[in-house]
Amino acid sequence: MVPTISAQLDAILNKFERNVPHIQATAVVSTDGLVIASRLPKDVEEDRIGAMGAAILSISSRSGDELDRGNMNRVLVEGTNGYILIRSIGEYAILVALVEKEVRLGMLFYECKKCIEELSEIL
Amino acid sequence: MEDLRKVVIERDLNPYHSFFASFFAGLGELGMLNQGSINIVAKRAAEYLYAYLDAKKILPNMNAVPGETKAEVIKNLIMYINKILTMVGEYDLQEAGEDQVVLLIAGKTCRICPKGVGGAEVKGTLCPIPSLLEALINRIAQKDMLELITTGIEKEGSTCKAYFKVLN
Repeated sequence: MVPTISAQLDAILNKFERNVPHIQATAVVSTDGLVIASRLPKDVEEDRIGAMGAAILSISSRSGDELDRGNMNRVLVEGTNGYILIRSIGEYAILVALVEKEVRLGMLFYECKKCIEELSEIL
Repeated sequence: MEDLRKVVIERDLNPYHSFFASFFAGLGELGMLNQGSINIVAKRAAEYLYAYLDAKKILPNMNAVPGETKAEVIKNLIMYINKILTMVGEYDLQEAGEDQVVLLIAGKTCRICPKGVGGAEVKGTLCPIPSLLEALINRIAQKDMLELITTGIEKEGSTCKAYFKVLN
Protein backbone atom coordinates (compact mmCIF):
# COMPACT_ATOMS: atom_id res chain seq x y z
CA MET A 1 0.00 0.00 0.00
CA VAL A 2 1.32 3.45 -0.95
CA PRO A 3 1.73 5.65 2.13
CA THR A 4 -0.45 8.75 2.25
CA ILE A 5 1.11 12.10 1.48
CA SER A 6 0.83 13.01 5.16
CA ALA A 7 2.72 9.87 6.13
CA GLN A 8 5.42 10.55 3.53
CA LEU A 9 5.85 14.14 4.70
CA ASP A 10 6.01 13.02 8.31
CA ALA A 11 8.67 10.43 7.46
CA ILE A 12 10.83 13.07 5.74
CA LEU A 13 10.51 15.47 8.66
CA ASN A 14 11.31 12.65 11.07
CA LYS A 15 14.47 11.79 9.09
CA PHE A 16 15.52 15.46 9.10
CA GLU A 17 15.10 15.61 12.87
CA ARG A 18 17.04 12.38 13.38
CA ASN A 19 19.92 13.52 11.18
CA VAL A 20 20.36 16.85 12.92
CA PRO A 21 20.62 16.80 16.70
CA HIS A 22 18.92 19.73 18.45
CA ILE A 23 15.99 20.18 16.06
CA GLN A 24 12.99 20.70 18.33
CA ALA A 25 10.14 21.05 15.85
CA THR A 26 9.46 21.03 12.13
CA ALA A 27 6.49 21.96 9.99
CA VAL A 28 5.58 22.08 6.33
CA VAL A 29 3.32 25.05 5.75
CA SER A 30 1.51 26.46 2.73
CA THR A 31 2.47 29.95 1.62
CA ASP A 32 -1.01 30.87 2.93
CA GLY A 33 0.27 30.11 6.43
CA LEU A 34 -1.72 26.90 6.84
CA VAL A 35 -0.01 23.82 8.22
CA ILE A 36 0.31 20.86 5.85
CA ALA A 37 2.36 18.57 8.10
CA SER A 38 4.11 19.06 11.41
CA ARG A 39 6.13 17.46 14.18
CA LEU A 40 5.71 19.88 17.03
CA PRO A 41 6.02 19.66 20.79
CA LYS A 42 2.78 20.13 22.71
CA ASP A 43 3.65 23.65 23.79
CA VAL A 44 4.03 24.94 20.22
CA GLU A 45 0.78 26.06 18.62
CA GLU A 46 0.50 24.65 15.13
CA ASP A 47 -1.61 27.53 13.78
CA ARG A 48 0.88 30.11 15.00
CA ILE A 49 4.00 28.45 13.65
CA GLY A 50 2.25 28.18 10.28
CA ALA A 51 1.05 31.76 10.11
CA MET A 52 4.26 33.26 11.46
CA GLY A 53 6.60 31.09 9.41
CA ALA A 54 4.82 32.01 6.19
CA ALA A 55 4.69 35.69 7.13
CA ILE A 56 8.42 35.83 8.01
CA LEU A 57 9.40 34.22 4.72
CA SER A 58 7.00 36.38 2.77
CA ILE A 59 8.27 39.62 4.32
CA SER A 60 11.87 38.50 3.83
CA SER A 61 11.28 37.67 0.16
CA ARG A 62 9.56 40.97 -0.34
CA SER A 63 12.45 42.80 1.36
CA GLY A 64 14.94 40.89 -0.77
CA ASP A 65 13.14 42.02 -3.91
CA GLU A 66 12.72 45.63 -2.80
CA LEU A 67 16.31 45.97 -1.65
CA ASP A 68 17.73 44.16 -4.66
CA ARG A 69 19.09 41.16 -2.75
CA GLY A 70 17.85 38.64 -5.28
CA ASN A 71 15.94 35.44 -4.54
CA MET A 72 15.65 34.50 -0.89
CA ASN A 73 17.54 31.27 -0.09
CA ARG A 74 16.61 30.94 3.54
CA VAL A 75 15.68 32.93 6.63
CA LEU A 76 17.48 32.25 9.89
CA VAL A 77 16.19 33.99 13.00
CA GLU A 78 18.67 33.86 15.88
CA GLY A 79 17.38 34.15 19.42
CA THR A 80 19.03 33.66 22.79
CA ASN A 81 17.44 30.21 23.07
CA GLY A 82 17.89 29.02 19.52
CA TYR A 83 17.04 29.48 15.88
CA ILE A 84 14.06 29.54 13.56
CA LEU A 85 15.03 28.31 10.10
CA ILE A 86 12.64 28.89 7.22
CA ARG A 87 13.06 27.80 3.60
CA SER A 88 10.69 27.70 0.70
CA ILE A 89 9.75 24.38 -0.90
CA GLY A 90 8.90 25.35 -4.45
CA GLU A 91 6.25 27.98 -5.03
CA TYR A 92 3.49 26.98 -2.65
CA ALA A 93 5.02 25.60 0.53
CA ILE A 94 7.69 26.31 3.11
CA LEU A 95 9.65 24.39 5.74
CA VAL A 96 9.92 25.79 9.25
CA ALA A 97 12.30 24.35 11.83
CA LEU A 98 12.78 25.34 15.46
CA VAL A 99 16.32 24.52 16.53
CA GLU A 100 18.30 24.68 19.76
CA LYS A 101 21.26 27.02 20.07
CA GLU A 102 23.74 24.13 20.25
CA VAL A 103 23.09 22.97 16.67
CA ARG A 104 25.91 22.87 14.12
CA LEU A 105 24.62 25.32 11.53
CA GLY A 106 26.59 23.74 8.68
CA MET A 107 24.95 20.39 9.37
CA LEU A 108 21.55 22.04 9.73
CA PHE A 109 21.79 23.81 6.36
CA TYR A 110 23.13 20.73 4.59
CA GLU A 111 20.43 18.42 5.89
CA CYS A 112 17.79 21.07 5.36
CA LYS A 113 18.70 21.24 1.67
CA LYS A 114 18.36 17.46 1.38
CA CYS A 115 15.04 17.58 3.24
CA ILE A 116 13.72 20.29 0.89
CA GLU A 117 14.68 18.20 -2.14
CA GLU A 118 12.77 15.23 -0.79
CA LEU A 119 9.74 17.33 0.14
CA SER A 120 9.76 18.93 -3.31
CA GLU A 121 9.30 15.53 -4.91
CA ILE A 122 6.05 15.04 -3.02
CA LEU A 123 4.54 18.52 -2.96
CA MET B 1 -10.18 54.70 -9.69
CA GLU B 2 -13.22 53.92 -11.84
CA ASP B 3 -13.13 50.29 -10.69
CA LEU B 4 -12.96 51.40 -7.07
CA ARG B 5 -16.03 53.63 -7.55
CA LYS B 6 -17.86 50.74 -9.17
CA VAL B 7 -17.11 48.42 -6.26
CA VAL B 8 -18.26 51.04 -3.75
CA ILE B 9 -21.59 51.49 -5.51
CA GLU B 10 -22.28 47.90 -6.54
CA ARG B 11 -21.43 46.40 -3.15
CA ASP B 12 -22.97 49.24 -1.16
CA LEU B 13 -19.86 49.84 0.92
CA ASN B 14 -19.62 52.02 4.00
CA PRO B 15 -16.32 53.75 4.89
CA TYR B 16 -15.36 51.00 7.34
CA HIS B 17 -15.70 48.35 4.64
CA SER B 18 -13.32 50.30 2.41
CA PHE B 19 -10.89 50.91 5.23
CA PHE B 20 -10.92 47.34 6.53
CA ALA B 21 -10.57 45.70 3.11
CA SER B 22 -7.84 48.01 1.84
CA PHE B 23 -5.94 47.91 5.13
CA PHE B 24 -5.88 44.11 5.17
CA ALA B 25 -5.01 44.14 1.48
CA GLY B 26 -1.99 46.35 2.13
CA LEU B 27 -0.75 44.11 4.93
CA GLY B 28 -1.28 41.08 2.71
CA GLU B 29 0.69 42.62 -0.14
CA LEU B 30 3.57 43.42 2.21
CA GLY B 31 3.61 39.76 3.22
CA MET B 32 2.60 40.53 6.78
CA LEU B 33 -0.78 38.85 6.55
CA ASN B 34 -1.81 35.46 5.21
CA GLN B 35 -4.86 33.22 5.61
CA GLY B 36 -3.23 31.47 8.57
CA SER B 37 -2.65 34.69 10.48
CA ILE B 38 -6.12 35.96 9.57
CA ASN B 39 -7.60 32.80 11.10
CA ILE B 40 -5.75 33.54 14.34
CA VAL B 41 -6.56 37.25 14.36
CA ALA B 42 -10.24 36.62 13.59
CA LYS B 43 -10.57 34.68 16.84
CA ARG B 44 -9.24 37.67 18.75
CA ALA B 45 -11.62 39.95 16.88
CA ALA B 46 -14.50 37.65 17.85
CA GLU B 47 -13.73 38.24 21.53
CA TYR B 48 -13.92 42.00 21.03
CA LEU B 49 -17.10 41.77 19.01
CA TYR B 50 -18.64 39.61 21.72
CA ALA B 51 -17.70 42.27 24.29
CA TYR B 52 -19.24 44.92 22.01
CA LEU B 53 -22.52 43.03 21.69
CA ASP B 54 -22.53 42.46 25.43
CA ALA B 55 -21.83 46.10 26.27
CA LYS B 56 -24.55 47.29 23.90
CA LYS B 57 -26.95 44.69 25.34
CA ILE B 58 -27.62 43.23 21.92
CA LEU B 59 -26.26 39.75 22.53
CA PRO B 60 -28.69 37.21 21.13
CA ASN B 61 -30.41 35.04 23.70
CA MET B 62 -29.55 31.51 22.60
CA ASN B 63 -32.86 30.19 23.95
CA ALA B 64 -34.73 32.62 21.74
CA VAL B 65 -32.82 32.09 18.50
CA PRO B 66 -35.31 30.43 16.12
CA GLY B 67 -34.55 27.15 14.44
CA GLU B 68 -35.61 23.54 14.84
CA THR B 69 -32.18 22.14 14.03
CA LYS B 70 -28.71 23.28 15.03
CA ALA B 71 -28.04 24.20 11.41
CA GLU B 72 -31.08 26.50 11.42
CA VAL B 73 -29.99 28.11 14.68
CA ILE B 74 -26.52 28.68 13.22
CA LYS B 75 -28.06 30.13 10.07
CA ASN B 76 -30.06 32.60 12.15
CA LEU B 77 -27.02 33.53 14.20
CA ILE B 78 -25.07 34.19 11.01
CA MET B 79 -27.96 36.34 9.77
CA TYR B 80 -27.86 38.31 13.00
CA ILE B 81 -24.08 38.78 12.91
CA ASN B 82 -24.18 39.82 9.27
CA LYS B 83 -26.96 42.29 9.99
CA ILE B 84 -24.67 44.02 12.49
CA LEU B 85 -21.40 43.78 10.59
CA THR B 86 -22.87 44.01 7.06
CA MET B 87 -20.07 41.80 5.76
CA VAL B 88 -21.83 40.26 2.78
CA GLY B 89 -24.84 40.95 0.61
CA GLU B 90 -25.92 37.57 -0.72
CA TYR B 91 -25.11 34.36 1.08
CA ASP B 92 -26.67 31.10 2.19
CA LEU B 93 -25.96 28.36 4.69
CA GLN B 94 -26.85 24.91 3.47
CA GLU B 95 -26.64 21.49 5.02
CA ALA B 96 -23.81 19.51 3.43
CA GLY B 97 -24.01 15.95 4.66
CA GLU B 98 -24.17 14.60 8.16
CA ASP B 99 -23.39 17.27 10.76
CA GLN B 100 -21.91 19.58 8.16
CA VAL B 101 -22.97 22.91 6.75
CA VAL B 102 -21.53 25.00 3.96
CA LEU B 103 -21.52 28.76 3.85
CA LEU B 104 -21.94 30.06 0.32
CA ILE B 105 -21.12 33.69 -0.34
CA ALA B 106 -21.76 35.45 -3.63
CA GLY B 107 -18.24 36.81 -4.03
CA LYS B 108 -19.30 39.97 -5.82
CA THR B 109 -21.47 41.00 -2.88
CA CYS B 110 -18.77 40.64 -0.22
CA ARG B 111 -18.00 44.01 1.34
CA ILE B 112 -14.84 43.18 3.27
CA CYS B 113 -12.86 41.06 0.82
CA PRO B 114 -9.23 42.23 0.87
CA LYS B 115 -8.92 41.05 -2.73
CA GLY B 116 -12.25 41.98 -4.29
CA VAL B 117 -12.77 45.22 -2.38
CA GLY B 118 -9.26 46.06 -1.14
CA GLY B 119 -7.54 45.12 -4.40
CA ALA B 120 -4.93 42.86 -2.77
CA GLU B 121 -2.71 41.28 -5.38
CA VAL B 122 -1.73 38.15 -3.51
CA LYS B 123 -1.85 34.43 -4.11
CA GLY B 124 -4.36 32.54 -2.02
CA THR B 125 -7.13 34.00 0.11
CA LEU B 126 -7.30 36.57 2.91
CA CYS B 127 -10.84 35.93 4.12
CA PRO B 128 -11.71 36.57 7.78
CA ILE B 129 -15.37 35.52 7.55
CA PRO B 130 -15.28 31.74 8.24
CA SER B 131 -12.94 31.90 11.23
CA LEU B 132 -14.71 34.98 12.60
CA LEU B 133 -18.11 33.27 12.39
CA GLU B 134 -16.75 30.09 13.99
CA ALA B 135 -15.25 31.96 16.92
CA LEU B 136 -18.09 34.44 17.43
CA ILE B 137 -20.88 31.87 17.22
CA ASN B 138 -19.08 29.59 19.68
CA ARG B 139 -18.57 32.55 21.99
CA ILE B 140 -22.22 33.59 21.80
CA ALA B 141 -23.38 29.99 22.31
CA GLN B 142 -20.95 29.60 25.25
CA LYS B 143 -19.90 26.24 23.84
CA ASP B 144 -18.27 24.72 20.77
CA MET B 145 -21.13 24.62 18.30
CA LEU B 146 -19.29 25.08 15.03
CA GLU B 147 -15.91 23.92 13.76
CA LEU B 148 -14.36 25.21 10.58
CA ILE B 149 -13.36 22.28 8.38
CA THR B 150 -11.87 24.17 5.47
CA THR B 151 -8.82 26.21 6.29
CA GLY B 152 -10.37 29.43 5.11
CA ILE B 153 -12.51 30.12 2.11
CA GLU B 154 -12.58 28.17 -1.15
CA LYS B 155 -13.34 29.94 -4.40
CA GLU B 156 -15.54 28.12 -6.86
CA GLY B 157 -16.36 30.36 -9.76
CA SER B 158 -18.02 33.44 -8.34
CA THR B 159 -18.96 31.68 -5.09
CA CYS B 160 -16.85 31.55 -1.95
CA LYS B 161 -17.39 28.45 0.18
CA ALA B 162 -16.53 27.47 3.72
CA TYR B 163 -17.42 24.12 5.27
CA PHE B 164 -18.17 23.72 8.96
CA LYS B 165 -18.84 20.78 11.22
CA VAL B 166 -21.86 21.22 13.47
CA LEU B 167 -20.88 19.99 16.91
CA ASN B 168 -23.15 18.42 19.50
